[in-house]
Amino acid sequence: MSIAVVTDSTSDLPPDIAAQHGISVVPLNVHIEDETYLDGVTISADEMYRRLPDRSVIPTTSAPSVGSFVEIYEKLGETHDEIISIHLSAKLSLTHGSAVNAVAEMGSSGPKIEVVNTEQASMALGWTAVQVAEAIAAGMSLEGSVELANSASERAVFIGMVDTMKYLVRGGRIGKAQGFVGSLLKIRPILTLRDGEAHPLERARSRKKGIARIKALVEEYAPLEKLAILYTTDEIDAQDIANEMASFAPDGEPVVAQLGPVVGNYAGPGMLGLGLIRSENS
Amino acid sequence: MQNSSTKIPAATSARLSDMIRATTLAIEANRDTINALNVFPVPDGDTGTNMLLTLRSVVEDMPLDPKESANNVAKIVARSALLGARGNSGLILAQYFKGLAEAIGEDTELTGEHLAKSIRIATTNSYKALPNPVEGTMLTVYRECAEVAEKSALANDSLESVLTDVADEALASVRRTPDLLPVLAEAEVVDSGGFGFAVMLDGALRALRGETPVGRVIEVPMPGKQKFSGSVKADFVSASEEIDWGYCTVFAIQSDSKLDLDKIRNHMDRIGRSPIVDGTDGIAKVHVHMEDPGEALTAGISYGQLSNIEIGNMDDQTAGWAADRRYSAATAAKPATPVDVAIVAVAAGDGLNDLILSSGMGAASIVEGGDTMNPSVADLLEAVEAAPSDKVILLPNNKNVVPAAKAVSELSEKDVRVVATRSVQTGIAALLEFNTTLSIDENEEAMNDVVGEVGDGRVCLASRDVTVYGHEIRKGMAFATFNDEIVAVGRDPLFVLTKMLELQAGDAEIVTIYTGESLSSEQVETATESLTNKFKELEIEVVHGGQPHYEYLVAVE
Repeated sequence: MSIAVVTDSTSDLPPDIAAQHGISVVPLNVHIEDETYLDGVTISADEMYRRLPDRSVIPTTSAPSVGSFVEIYEKLGETHDEIISIHLSAKLSLTHGSAVNAVAEMGSSGPKIEVVNTEQASMALGWTAVQVAEAIAAGMSLEGSVELANSASERAVFIGMVDTMKYLVRGGRIGKAQGFVGSLLKIRPILTLRDGEAHPLERARSRKKGIARIKALVEEYAPLEKLAILYTTDEIDAQDIANEMASFAPDGEPVVAQLGPVVGNYAGPGMLGLGLIRSENS
Repeated sequence: MQNSSTKIPAATSARLSDMIRATTLAIEANRDTINALNVFPVPDGDTGTNMLLTLRSVVEDMPLDPKESANNVAKIVARSALLGARGNSGLILAQYFKGLAEAIGEDTELTGEHLAKSIRIATTNSYKALPNPVEGTMLTVYRECAEVAEKSALANDSLESVLTDVADEALASVRRTPDLLPVLAEAEVVDSGGFGFAVMLDGALRALRGETPVGRVIEVPMPGKQKFSGSVKADFVSASEEIDWGYCTVFAIQSDSKLDLDKIRNHMDRIGRSPIVDGTDGIAKVHVHMEDPGEALTAGISYGQLSNIEIGNMDDQTAGWAADRRYSAATAAKPATPVDVAIVAVAAGDGLNDLILSSGMGAASIVEGGDTMNPSVADLLEAVEAAPSDKVILLPNNKNVVPAAKAVSELSEKDVRVVATRSVQTGIAALLEFNTTLSIDENEEAMNDVVGEVGDGRVCLASRDVTVYGHEIRKGMAFATFNDEIVAVGRDPLFVLTKMLELQAGDAEIVTIYTGESLSSEQVETATESLTNKFKELEIEVVHGGQPHYEYLVAVE
């Protein structure tokens, strides 16, 4: 009896962490002009951010096909009896639906598969997958894993301070953060995901103030079980935040993770943020 | 203390209404004289008119039912006085009626003690209401009347006896005002608002005693053997005509050594009009009317460090500008979608209006008003009542509007919080803290926090040739103030602005520059480019403010 853990590329899990926990990552698709790329596989994050500011090219993204889920589930079924497939908020993408359809497609032929909609994205999703993998390694059942995936994703928090709302707007993922759009003054919106879609948290007048708020939010959410500092283009800033906030990570070392091309397509260059899971007792 | 034979019985509280009507008739009979006495703070000859209009709005709202109790009459009167208050004198007058309502409280009869209490409350509130209370004005007359009234009420609680003592003291106090306020002595007048108050008391007393006519012409109580000529001194008039299109310039000089007030006064007198200089050893407060305020500031610098600079343009055209652009909250307010917390902000300038509306996340509305045309309590109240929520945060965006904003929070049934923003740039910084997902308490706190953190810069142009730092400079030169202190004077607004930023924005996180209506788009472009190149380390945002008077308004955060 063994259980495989699957997530998608919007988890922004650094490859080494995914590998360490044996998590399979299904890539979403990125479309730029006539080309289709696999998120983080055939297009790197850096390449994506280099091309993003070009106004003549608006990249789009799409969910993995049902076929690609069938393919990976069948492959994992060769070595595992059960699969838990943990995904991005269904309000942001068809990925969850695609996975559910893949399971229906496979019928009762393959392994037993549970698909979870976390209503999260990025490392808030990534950490949920990691916690589930850790629990499975410690002997947790598929049923228990689904429960844990749900409870962990409820305690998970995604925070993103973006330089501009334009990528979120043009990508159609504005959600409830409409009020942040239209300000004639430059503001740094700080967003979160609530009920699976973008939600305004606050707005900072300057990047410095915004970074200070991000740090303050880490303290507000503490104690934490997992902590990642997120960035699209500014690794040094993210590293600085990680160093300062190190004591809030359970192991004293927050993960610094770069947003992949798909999530980054909506956050845009200059984004900084957090992906964390609060303690059950917090 | 109670003496039933001297009270106005509740059933005849109509006599209180009669007394208030009598004050109106008394002011009417003396209006031209009161107008003629008006030289302070601006010799615009409207004190009598302002007091009369304030009182008329009170009388219009007064209940006609003679069975109405005195305390209800006082409450209604207090509210309509505040709403109808015109000008400074009207606002101070409104404080009296507010005091009356508070003093009567739930009692249904008016006594001498109530009268004493009402003047005391009016005194305390008036000193609080004005940013810079000045002695030798209505405030002094209130204070001295309160003292006499309290003593009088202790001796005899009869309304008539206390009112008689107070009416006498009011005239005596008015007679002493030129000793306290030099500009009055110079113009050979006494304080106009104080005299107006004395006139009102005379009318009230005559109504109480049943004498007719209640409104009679009162001789102006002048110091010594002087008689009021019917107008201000001739050379004061000519000076006033000149300064009508000048700047009322007010600032403080601070120095470690003793300041020679006479010397400063003489200096100001040489370069400007009607200087008022007073103070203590280390601080001098200067009030002078200048064709160019830069000259007075330059002169001031030679004595010490300048602070609390206020420059008001008394230009008719400017006032006209403001009046044209001022539109009532009712016309400005769009049928708005209800929100949890609404924001009402005061601003002047198309760009500033757009910035506020766009940053208000659908919750903000604007009351038009600026330095020369402060919105009235009624304007603000109207906007608050029209706002699409029962919870409203009010941003006065000017320190002179703060008292009116606070009055609104008392008048409105809504939960109104005033965040005392002293400038529009501070107001916008506060507005950006506004968060639709937080409660009014949390929003108020966050906005108050940011108000203390914003540095407030202004750059404006000299309007004609002046001397600055001993150099002849021409019309079009500029000076900059930062948190009410002068920080740079120079040839070009952009240069002066740059200088200010060098001095004040070193460790700033963000600098927002609002460009004024007088700047061309090329000037704005040049400024943006030059500043972003020069201050590479700073986050600078240049936006169109469209404000009058100021080439640049600056927020340093």
